Amino acid sequence: MSETWMIAGAWLSAGLTIAIFSFLYKDNPFFKIAEHLYLGAGMGWLFQVSVFSVWGPKIWTPVSHGDWLVIIPSLMGISLLTQFIPKLSWISRYGFTFIMGYGSGLAIPATLSTDFMSQILGTVQPLSLMASMSPFAIFNALLVAFGVICVLFYFFFSVEHKGHFQKVSNIGIYFLMVYFGAAFGNTVMARFSLLYGRFDSLYASSSARNFYATQIILAGMVIYFVLHSFFGKKGPAEGEAAH
Amino acid sequence: MKFIKKTIPLLIVFVVGVLSLISYYVPHKTSVNFIELMSKWENIVSAFAFLLGLISLFFSHYHKISRKVDGWGYSIFVFIGFFAIIIPAILNHGKSMTAAGPTSLGWAYSSIYTALSGTMFAVLAFYIVSTAYRSFRIKSKQAFVLFVAAFVLILGKVPLGQIIWTSVLGWTHVTVSTVIDWIMTVPAVAGKRGIMIGIAIGAIVTSFKIIFGIERQYLGKD
Repeated sequence: MSETWMIAGAWLSAGLTIAIFSFLYKDNPFFKIAEHLYLGAGMGWLFQVSVFSVWGPKIWTPVSHGDWLVIIPSLMGISLLTQFIPKLSWISRYGFTFIMGYGSGLAIPATLSTDFMSQILGTVQPLSLMASMSPFAIFNALLVAFGVICVLFYFFFSVEHKGHFQKVSNIGIYFLMVYFGAAFGNTVMARFSLLYGRFDSLYASSSARNFYATQIILAGMVIYFVLHSFFGKKGPAEGEAAH
Repeated sequence: MKFIKKTIPLLIVFVVGVLSLISYYVPHKTSVNFIELMSKWENIVSAFAFLLGLISLFFSHYHKISRKVDGWGYSIFVFIGFFAIIIPAILNHGKSMTAAGPTSLGWAYSSIYTALSGTMFAVLAFYIVSTAYRSFRIKSKQAFVLFVAAFVLILGKVPLGQIIWTSVLGWTHVTVSTVIDWIMTVPAVAGKRGIMIGIAIGAIVTSFKIIFGIERQYLGKD
Protein backbone atom coordinates (compact mmCIF):
# COMPACT_ATOMS: atom_id res chain seq x y z
CA MET A 1 0.00 0.00 0.00
CA SER A 2 1.40 3.33 -1.03
CA GLU A 3 1.44 6.42 1.18
CA THR A 4 -1.40 7.94 -0.90
CA TRP A 5 -3.62 4.93 -0.21
CA MET A 6 -2.87 5.12 3.52
CA ILE A 7 -3.84 8.81 3.58
CA ALA A 8 -6.99 8.07 1.54
CA GLY A 9 -7.79 5.30 4.05
CA ALA A 10 -7.40 7.73 6.95
CA TRP A 11 -9.76 10.22 5.27
CA LEU A 12 -12.32 7.53 4.47
CA SER A 13 -12.14 6.02 7.95
CA ALA A 14 -12.42 9.43 9.67
CA GLY A 15 -15.28 10.50 7.38
CA LEU A 16 -17.31 7.35 7.98
CA THR A 17 -16.64 7.43 11.74
CA ILE A 18 -17.77 11.07 12.05
CA ALA A 19 -20.77 10.38 9.79
CA ILE A 20 -22.01 7.69 12.16
CA PHE A 21 -21.26 9.76 15.28
CA SER A 22 -23.33 12.58 13.72
CA PHE A 23 -26.43 10.51 14.55
CA LEU A 24 -25.89 11.54 18.18
CA TYR A 25 -26.90 15.05 17.09
CA LYS A 26 -29.83 13.98 14.90
CA ASP A 27 -30.77 11.72 11.99
CA ASN A 28 -29.09 13.13 8.88
CA PRO A 29 -28.02 12.20 5.33
CA PHE A 30 -24.38 11.52 6.34
CA PHE A 31 -25.50 8.92 8.85
CA LYS A 32 -27.90 7.35 6.37
CA ILE A 33 -25.18 7.08 3.73
CA ALA A 34 -22.78 5.50 6.24
CA GLU A 35 -25.51 3.17 7.48
CA HIS A 36 -26.28 1.92 3.95
CA LEU A 37 -22.57 1.61 3.15
CA TYR A 38 -22.16 -0.49 6.30
CA LEU A 39 -24.93 -2.81 5.17
CA GLY A 40 -23.42 -3.17 1.70
CA ALA A 41 -19.83 -3.56 2.93
CA GLY A 42 -20.90 -6.16 5.52
CA MET A 43 -22.71 -8.14 2.85
CA GLY A 44 -19.73 -7.75 0.52
CA TRP A 45 -17.37 -9.11 3.16
CA LEU A 46 -19.58 -12.12 3.90
CA PHE A 47 -20.04 -12.75 0.18
CA GLN A 48 -16.31 -12.80 -0.49
CA VAL A 49 -15.85 -15.15 2.49
CA SER A 50 -18.51 -17.45 0.97
CA VAL A 51 -16.83 -17.32 -2.46
CA PHE A 52 -13.23 -17.79 -1.37
CA SER A 53 -13.74 -20.02 1.69
CA VAL A 54 -16.76 -22.15 0.76
CA TRP A 55 -17.76 -22.18 -2.91
CA GLY A 56 -14.16 -22.20 -4.17
CA PRO A 57 -12.39 -24.73 -1.90
CA LYS A 58 -15.42 -26.81 -0.87
CA ILE A 59 -17.36 -27.04 -4.17
CA TRP A 60 -15.29 -25.97 -7.17
CA THR A 61 -12.00 -27.64 -6.18
CA PRO A 62 -13.52 -31.06 -5.25
CA VAL A 63 -15.71 -31.11 -8.39
CA SER A 64 -12.74 -30.26 -10.61
CA HIS A 65 -10.88 -33.20 -8.99
CA GLY A 66 -13.76 -35.59 -9.67
CA ASP A 67 -15.33 -35.58 -6.19
CA TRP A 68 -18.99 -35.34 -7.19
CA LEU A 69 -20.37 -35.91 -3.66
CA VAL A 70 -20.40 -32.15 -2.97
CA ILE A 71 -23.08 -31.82 -5.64
CA ILE A 72 -25.63 -33.10 -3.05
CA PRO A 73 -25.23 -30.23 -0.53
CA SER A 74 -24.87 -27.80 -3.46
CA LEU A 75 -28.25 -28.89 -4.82
CA MET A 76 -29.76 -28.62 -1.33
CA GLY A 77 -28.26 -25.11 -1.11
CA ILE A 78 -29.57 -24.12 -4.55
CA SER A 79 -32.99 -25.46 -3.50
CA LEU A 80 -33.13 -22.61 -0.96
CA LEU A 81 -33.20 -20.10 -3.82
CA THR A 82 -36.59 -21.46 -4.96
CA GLN A 83 -38.01 -19.26 -2.18
CA PHE A 84 -38.16 -16.56 -4.85
CA ILE A 85 -40.58 -18.64 -6.97
CA PRO A 86 -43.80 -19.05 -4.94
CA LYS A 87 -45.01 -22.11 -6.90
CA LEU A 88 -41.74 -23.96 -6.37
CA SER A 89 -40.86 -22.62 -2.91
CA TRP A 90 -41.63 -26.03 -1.32
CA ILE A 91 -38.37 -27.31 -2.87
CA SER A 92 -36.45 -25.06 -0.45
CA ARG A 93 -37.63 -27.38 2.36
CA TYR A 94 -34.94 -29.88 1.32
CA GLY A 95 -32.18 -27.42 2.17
CA PHE A 96 -33.86 -26.05 5.29
CA THR A 97 -34.62 -29.50 6.72
CA PHE A 98 -31.01 -30.53 6.26
CA ILE A 99 -29.81 -27.46 8.23
CA MET A 100 -32.47 -28.01 10.91
CA GLY A 101 -31.73 -31.73 11.22
CA TYR A 102 -27.98 -31.29 11.44
CA GLY A 103 -28.31 -28.31 13.81
CA SER A 104 -30.74 -30.12 16.11
CA GLY A 105 -28.77 -33.38 16.08
CA LEU A 106 -25.59 -31.58 17.01
CA ALA A 107 -27.23 -29.16 19.47
CA ILE A 108 -28.49 -31.95 21.75
CA PRO A 109 -25.11 -33.49 22.75
CA ALA A 110 -23.31 -30.12 22.67
CA THR A 111 -25.89 -28.40 24.91
CA LEU A 112 -26.16 -31.43 27.15
CA SER A 113 -22.43 -31.52 27.83
CA THR A 114 -21.54 -27.81 27.96
CA ASP A 115 -24.64 -25.98 29.17
CA PHE A 116 -26.28 -28.69 31.25
CA MET A 117 -23.97 -31.36 32.67
CA SER A 118 -20.88 -29.20 33.09
CA GLN A 119 -22.90 -26.46 34.81
CA ILE A 120 -24.31 -28.97 37.30
CA LEU A 121 -20.83 -30.48 37.73
CA GLY A 122 -19.34 -27.04 38.37
CA THR A 123 -21.94 -26.44 41.07
CA VAL A 124 -21.77 -29.82 42.78
CA GLN A 125 -18.09 -30.76 42.44
CA PRO A 126 -16.72 -28.12 44.89
CA LEU A 127 -19.04 -29.55 47.56
CA SER A 128 -17.17 -32.86 47.39
CA LEU A 129 -13.80 -31.15 47.95
CA MET A 130 -14.72 -29.30 51.13
CA ALA A 131 -12.15 -31.11 53.29
CA SER A 132 -9.32 -29.42 51.39
CA MET A 133 -10.99 -26.01 51.06
CA SER A 134 -10.68 -22.81 53.12
CA PRO A 135 -13.77 -21.66 55.08
CA PHE A 136 -14.28 -18.79 52.60
CA ALA A 137 -14.11 -21.17 49.62
CA ILE A 138 -16.64 -23.47 51.35
CA PHE A 139 -18.93 -20.47 51.89
CA ASN A 140 -18.60 -19.54 48.20
CA ALA A 141 -19.33 -23.10 47.03
CA LEU A 142 -22.43 -23.29 49.24
CA LEU A 143 -23.58 -19.85 48.09
CA VAL A 144 -23.27 -20.84 44.41
CA ALA A 145 -25.18 -24.10 45.00
CA PHE A 146 -27.87 -22.27 46.98
CA GLY A 147 -28.12 -19.54 44.33
CA VAL A 148 -28.44 -22.02 41.45
CA ILE A 149 -31.25 -23.87 43.25
CA CYS A 150 -33.08 -20.60 44.00
CA VAL A 151 -32.74 -19.38 40.38
CA LEU A 152 -33.92 -22.73 38.99
CA PHE A 153 -36.86 -22.55 41.38
CA TYR A 154 -37.73 -19.11 40.06
CA PHE A 155 -38.07 -20.65 36.57
CA PHE A 156 -40.00 -23.70 37.83
CA PHE A 157 -43.68 -23.10 37.26
CA SER A 158 -45.12 -26.54 38.02
CA VAL A 159 -45.60 -25.49 41.67
CA GLU A 160 -47.42 -22.29 42.58
CA HIS A 161 -45.02 -19.75 44.09
CA LYS A 162 -46.67 -19.22 47.46
CA GLY A 163 -45.42 -19.14 51.07
CA HIS A 164 -41.93 -20.67 51.43
CA PHE A 165 -41.77 -21.39 47.72
CA GLN A 166 -42.20 -17.70 47.00
CA LYS A 167 -39.38 -16.81 49.41
CA VAL A 168 -36.98 -19.21 47.66
CA SER A 169 -38.07 -17.86 44.28
CA ASN A 170 -37.56 -14.25 45.49
CA ILE A 171 -34.00 -15.04 46.61
CA GLY A 172 -33.43 -16.40 43.09
CA ILE A 173 -34.36 -12.99 41.70
CA TYR A 174 -31.53 -11.38 43.71
CA PHE A 175 -28.98 -13.76 42.19
CA LEU A 176 -30.39 -13.02 38.74
CA MET A 177 -30.12 -9.28 39.42
CA VAL A 178 -26.45 -9.62 40.37
CA TYR A 179 -25.84 -11.50 37.11
CA PHE A 180 -27.77 -8.95 35.03
CA GLY A 181 -25.90 -6.09 36.75
CA ALA A 182 -22.54 -7.74 36.10
CA ALA A 183 -23.49 -8.48 32.47
CA PHE A 184 -24.65 -4.87 32.03
CA GLY A 185 -21.40 -3.52 33.50
CA ASN A 186 -19.33 -5.72 31.21
CA THR A 187 -21.36 -4.66 28.16
CA VAL A 188 -20.93 -0.98 29.02
CA MET A 189 -17.18 -1.39 29.39
CA ALA A 190 -16.94 -3.33 26.10
CA ARG A 191 -18.81 -0.56 24.26
CA PHE A 192 -16.60 2.11 25.83
CA SER A 193 -13.54 0.15 24.81
CA LEU A 194 -14.80 0.31 21.19
CA LEU A 195 -15.46 4.01 21.65
CA TYR A 196 -11.87 4.62 22.79
CA GLY A 197 -10.71 2.69 19.72
CA ARG A 198 -12.70 4.95 17.39
CA PHE A 199 -11.45 8.10 19.16
CA ASP A 200 -7.91 6.78 18.84
CA SER A 201 -8.50 6.24 15.10
CA LEU A 202 -9.86 9.80 14.76
CA TYR A 203 -6.81 11.10 16.62
CA ALA A 204 -4.49 9.22 14.25
CA SER A 205 -6.36 10.67 11.24
CA SER A 206 -6.02 14.20 12.65
CA SER A 207 -2.23 14.29 12.21
CA ALA A 208 -0.41 16.52 9.71
CA ARG A 209 0.69 13.34 7.90
CA ASN A 210 -2.99 12.70 7.08
CA PHE A 211 -3.57 16.37 6.17
CA TYR A 212 -5.79 16.95 9.24
CA ALA A 213 -8.55 14.67 7.94
CA THR A 214 -10.53 14.60 11.21
CA GLN A 215 -10.54 18.36 11.73
CA ILE A 216 -11.48 19.19 8.11
CA ILE A 217 -14.30 16.61 7.90
CA LEU A 218 -15.63 17.61 11.32
CA ALA A 219 -15.56 21.31 10.37
CA GLY A 220 -17.31 20.54 7.06
CA MET A 221 -20.04 18.63 8.83
CA VAL A 222 -20.55 21.36 11.45
CA ILE A 223 -20.84 23.97 8.66
CA TYR A 224 -23.44 21.75 6.94
CA PHE A 225 -25.53 21.42 10.11
CA VAL A 226 -25.35 25.19 10.82
CA LEU A 227 -26.37 26.06 7.24
CA HIS A 228 -29.07 23.38 7.26
CA SER A 229 -30.53 24.71 10.50
CA PHE A 230 -30.80 28.19 8.94
CA PHE A 231 -31.80 27.41 5.35
CA GLY A 232 -32.95 23.77 5.38
CA LYS A 233 -36.55 22.60 5.19
CA LYS A 234 -38.17 21.85 8.53
CA GLY A 235 -39.87 18.49 8.92
CA PRO A 236 -39.26 14.82 9.62
CA ALA A 237 -36.01 13.29 8.33
CA GLU A 238 -36.51 12.00 4.82
CA GLY A 239 -35.98 8.44 3.79
CA GLU A 240 -36.05 5.18 5.65
CA ALA A 241 -33.56 3.27 7.72
CA ALA A 242 -31.61 0.53 5.93
CA HIS A 243 -33.08 -2.91 6.29
CA MET B 1 -47.24 -35.02 -4.06
CA LYS B 2 -47.60 -34.81 -0.27
CA PHE B 3 -44.86 -37.43 -0.01
CA ILE B 4 -42.41 -35.25 -1.97
CA LYS B 5 -43.50 -31.97 -0.41
CA LYS B 6 -43.74 -32.99 3.22
CA THR B 7 -42.72 -36.58 3.99
CA ILE B 8 -39.27 -36.51 2.36
CA PRO B 9 -38.26 -33.21 4.07
CA LEU B 10 -39.38 -34.63 7.42
CA LEU B 11 -37.43 -37.82 6.69
CA ILE B 12 -34.32 -35.73 5.91
CA VAL B 13 -34.57 -33.88 9.23
CA PHE B 14 -35.13 -37.17 11.11
CA VAL B 15 -32.33 -39.15 9.46
CA VAL B 16 -29.75 -36.33 9.52
CA GLY B 17 -30.72 -35.37 13.10
CA VAL B 18 -30.62 -38.91 14.53
CA LEU B 19 -27.38 -39.81 12.73
CA SER B 20 -25.68 -36.58 13.89
CA LEU B 21 -26.85 -37.22 17.45
CA ILE B 22 -25.74 -40.86 17.51
CA SER B 23 -22.42 -40.12 15.82
CA TYR B 24 -21.48 -37.80 18.68
CA TYR B 25 -21.62 -40.70 21.15
CA VAL B 26 -20.08 -43.40 18.93
CA PRO B 27 -16.28 -43.39 19.23
CA HIS B 28 -15.63 -44.84 15.77
CA LYS B 29 -13.80 -43.52 12.72
CA THR B 30 -16.97 -43.84 10.61
CA SER B 31 -18.96 -41.58 12.92
CA VAL B 32 -16.12 -39.03 13.08
CA ASN B 33 -15.95 -39.02 9.26
CA PHE B 34 -19.73 -38.66 9.09
CA ILE B 35 -19.74 -35.64 11.42
CA GLU B 36 -16.91 -34.03 9.39
CA LEU B 37 -18.81 -34.63 6.15
CA MET B 38 -22.04 -33.23 7.57
CA SER B 39 -20.17 -30.18 8.90
CA LYS B 40 -18.75 -29.57 5.40
CA TRP B 41 -22.18 -30.00 3.82
CA GLU B 42 -23.73 -27.65 6.37
CA ASN B 43 -21.11 -25.01 5.46
CA ILE B 44 -22.06 -25.32 1.80
CA VAL B 45 -25.83 -25.15 2.40
CA SER B 46 -25.37 -22.19 4.82
CA ALA B 47 -23.37 -20.31 2.17
CA PHE B 48 -26.35 -20.65 -0.18
CA ALA B 49 -28.67 -19.54 2.65
CA PHE B 50 -26.55 -16.39 2.88
CA LEU B 51 -26.93 -15.95 -0.88
CA LEU B 52 -30.71 -16.15 -0.41
CA GLY B 53 -30.54 -13.23 2.05
CA LEU B 54 -28.17 -11.27 -0.20
CA ILE B 55 -30.39 -11.61 -3.28
CA SER B 56 -33.42 -10.65 -1.19
CA LEU B 57 -31.62 -7.53 0.07
CA PHE B 58 -30.54 -6.57 -3.44
CA PHE B 59 -34.08 -7.03 -4.77
CA SER B 60 -35.43 -4.83 -1.99
CA HIS B 61 -32.97 -1.99 -2.67
CA TYR B 62 -33.19 -2.40 -6.45
CA HIS B 63 -36.98 -1.94 -6.22
CA LYS B 64 -36.49 1.16 -4.06
CA ILE B 65 -34.20 2.66 -6.71
CA SER B 66 -36.32 1.64 -9.70
CA ARG B 67 -39.55 2.95 -8.12
CA LYS B 68 -37.79 6.02 -6.73
CA VAL B 69 -39.41 5.63 -3.31
CA ASP B 70 -38.49 8.02 -0.46
CA GLY B 71 -34.78 7.77 0.34
CA TRP B 72 -34.04 5.72 -2.81
CA GLY B 73 -30.71 7.53 -3.23
CA TYR B 74 -29.37 5.92 -0.07
CA SER B 75 -30.02 2.44 -1.52
CA ILE B 76 -27.31 3.14 -4.13
CA PHE B 77 -24.80 3.19 -1.28
CA VAL B 78 -25.68 -0.41 -0.40
CA PHE B 79 -24.38 -1.43 -3.83
CA ILE B 80 -21.39 0.93 -3.55
CA GLY B 81 -20.45 -0.61 -0.19
CA PHE B 82 -20.85 -4.11 -1.61
CA PHE B 83 -18.65 -3.49 -4.65
CA ALA B 84 -16.10 -1.55 -2.57
CA ILE B 85 -15.35 -4.88 -0.85
CA ILE B 86 -16.03 -7.33 -3.68
CA ILE B 87 -13.85 -5.74 -6.37
CA PRO B 88 -10.66 -5.72 -4.21
CA ALA B 89 -11.56 -9.25 -3.04
CA ILE B 90 -11.69 -10.52 -6.64
CA LEU B 91 -8.46 -8.71 -7.53
CA ASN B 92 -6.65 -10.26 -4.55
CA HIS B 93 -8.36 -13.69 -4.57
CA GLY B 94 -9.82 -13.04 -1.11
CA LYS B 95 -6.45 -12.33 0.52
CA SER B 96 -6.43 -9.29 2.80
CA MET B 97 -2.78 -9.59 3.76
CA THR B 98 0.40 -10.66 1.97
CA ALA B 99 4.07 -10.69 2.96
CA ALA B 100 4.37 -7.18 1.48
CA GLY B 101 1.60 -5.85 3.74
CA PRO B 102 -2.15 -5.30 3.47
CA THR B 103 -3.73 -5.73 0.04
CA SER B 104 -6.46 -3.46 -1.35
CA LEU B 105 -8.97 -5.85 0.29
CA GLY B 106 -7.24 -5.35 3.66
CA TRP B 107 -7.28 -1.59 3.03
CA ALA B 108 -11.01 -1.62 2.21
CA TYR B 109 -11.73 -3.81 5.24
CA SER B 110 -9.90 -1.56 7.71
CA SER B 111 -10.88 1.79 6.14
CA ILE B 112 -14.52 1.00 5.43
CA TYR B 113 -15.82 -2.06 7.26
CA THR B 114 -13.87 -1.77 10.54
CA ALA B 115 -14.51 1.99 10.76
CA LEU B 116 -18.24 1.50 10.18
CA SER B 117 -18.81 -1.56 12.39
CA GLY B 118 -16.62 -0.26 15.24
CA THR B 119 -18.36 3.12 15.27
CA MET B 120 -21.84 1.64 14.91
CA PHE B 121 -21.32 -0.39 18.10
CA ALA B 122 -19.42 2.42 19.84
CA VAL B 123 -22.41 4.76 19.34
CA LEU B 124 -24.41 2.33 21.46
CA ALA B 125 -22.22 3.31 24.44
CA PHE B 126 -24.00 6.67 24.54
CA TYR B 127 -27.42 5.06 24.41
CA ILE B 128 -26.46 2.53 27.09
CA VAL B 129 -25.52 5.43 29.39
CA SER B 130 -28.88 7.12 28.86
CA THR B 131 -30.67 3.79 29.37
CA ALA B 132 -28.64 3.22 32.52
CA TYR B 133 -29.84 6.54 33.91
CA ARG B 134 -33.45 5.42 33.50
CA SER B 135 -33.02 1.80 34.58
CA PHE B 136 -30.84 2.62 37.59
CA ARG B 137 -33.53 4.63 39.31
CA ILE B 138 -33.75 2.46 42.38
CA LYS B 139 -37.37 1.57 42.94
CA SER B 140 -36.96 -1.79 44.71
CA LYS B 141 -34.42 -3.90 46.58
CA GLN B 142 -33.83 -6.01 43.46
CA ALA B 143 -33.10 -2.85 41.43
CA PHE B 144 -30.63 -1.78 44.13
CA VAL B 145 -28.77 -5.11 43.86
CA LEU B 146 -28.59 -4.74 40.06
CA PHE B 147 -27.30 -1.18 40.45
CA VAL B 148 -24.60 -2.15 42.99
CA ALA B 149 -23.33 -5.05 40.84
CA ALA B 150 -23.15 -2.90 37.68
CA PHE B 151 -21.70 0.12 39.51
CA VAL B 152 -18.90 -1.85 41.19
CA LEU B 153 -18.04 -3.53 37.89
CA ILE B 154 -17.88 -0.27 35.92
CA LEU B 155 -16.11 1.58 38.75
CA GLY B 156 -13.49 -1.10 39.21
CA LYS B 157 -12.50 -1.20 35.56
CA VAL B 158 -11.50 2.46 35.23
CA PRO B 159 -8.43 3.99 36.91
CA LEU B 160 -10.47 6.82 38.50
CA GLY B 161 -12.80 4.26 40.10
CA GLN B 162 -9.88 2.33 41.49
CA ILE B 163 -8.45 5.53 43.01
CA ILE B 164 -11.84 6.39 44.58
CA TRP B 165 -12.19 2.86 45.96
CA THR B 166 -8.70 2.93 47.48
CA SER B 167 -9.22 6.35 49.09
CA VAL B 168 -12.67 5.50 50.53
CA LEU B 169 -12.41 1.78 51.29
CA GLY B 170 -8.64 1.32 51.32
CA TRP B 171 -8.70 0.67 55.08
CA THR B 172 -10.52 -2.65 54.47
CA HIS B 173 -7.48 -3.95 52.50
CA VAL B 174 -9.93 -5.37 49.95
CA THR B 175 -9.17 -4.19 46.42
CA VAL B 176 -11.95 -3.45 43.95
CA SER B 177 -10.60 -6.12 41.58
CA THR B 178 -11.01 -8.71 44.37
CA VAL B 179 -14.65 -7.66 44.82
CA ILE B 180 -15.28 -7.80 41.03
CA ASP B 181 -13.66 -11.21 40.89
CA TRP B 182 -15.89 -12.44 43.74
CA ILE B 183 -19.06 -11.05 42.11
CA MET B 184 -18.20 -12.65 38.78
CA THR B 185 -17.26 -16.06 40.24
CA VAL B 186 -19.88 -16.49 42.99
CA PRO B 187 -23.28 -14.72 42.87
CA ALA B 188 -23.18 -13.87 39.13
CA VAL B 189 -22.19 -17.46 38.33
CA ALA B 190 -25.14 -18.76 40.36
CA GLY B 191 -27.53 -16.56 38.36
CA LYS B 192 -25.89 -17.41 35.05
CA ARG B 193 -25.90 -21.16 35.74
CA GLY B 194 -29.61 -21.13 36.55
CA ILE B 195 -30.33 -19.40 33.23
CA MET B 196 -27.96 -21.66 31.26
CA ILE B 197 -29.48 -24.85 32.68
CA GLY B 198 -32.96 -23.53 31.83
CA ILE B 199 -31.92 -22.61 28.28
CA ALA B 200 -30.21 -26.00 27.84
CA ILE B 201 -33.36 -27.90 28.81
CA GLY B 202 -35.41 -25.75 26.40
CA ALA B 203 -32.90 -26.19 23.56
CA ILE B 204 -32.71 -29.98 24.00
CA VAL B 205 -36.50 -30.37 24.09
CA THR B 206 -36.92 -28.12 21.01
CA SER B 207 -34.23 -30.07 19.14
CA PHE B 208 -36.01 -33.37 19.87
CA LYS B 209 -39.31 -31.84 18.73
CA ILE B 210 -37.69 -30.78 15.44
CA ILE B 211 -36.04 -34.18 14.85
CA PHE B 212 -39.27 -36.10 15.50
CA GLY B 213 -41.33 -33.74 13.35
CA ILE B 214 -43.47 -32.37 16.19
CA GLU B 215 -42.17 -28.84 15.59
CA ARG B 216 -42.50 -28.12 11.86
CA GLN B 217 -43.26 -24.40 11.57
CA TYR B 218 -39.97 -23.87 9.75
CA LEU B 219 -41.42 -25.83 6.81
CA GLY B 220 -43.76 -22.94 6.10
CA LYS B 221 -47.23 -23.17 4.63
CA ASP B 222 -48.26 -25.57 1.84
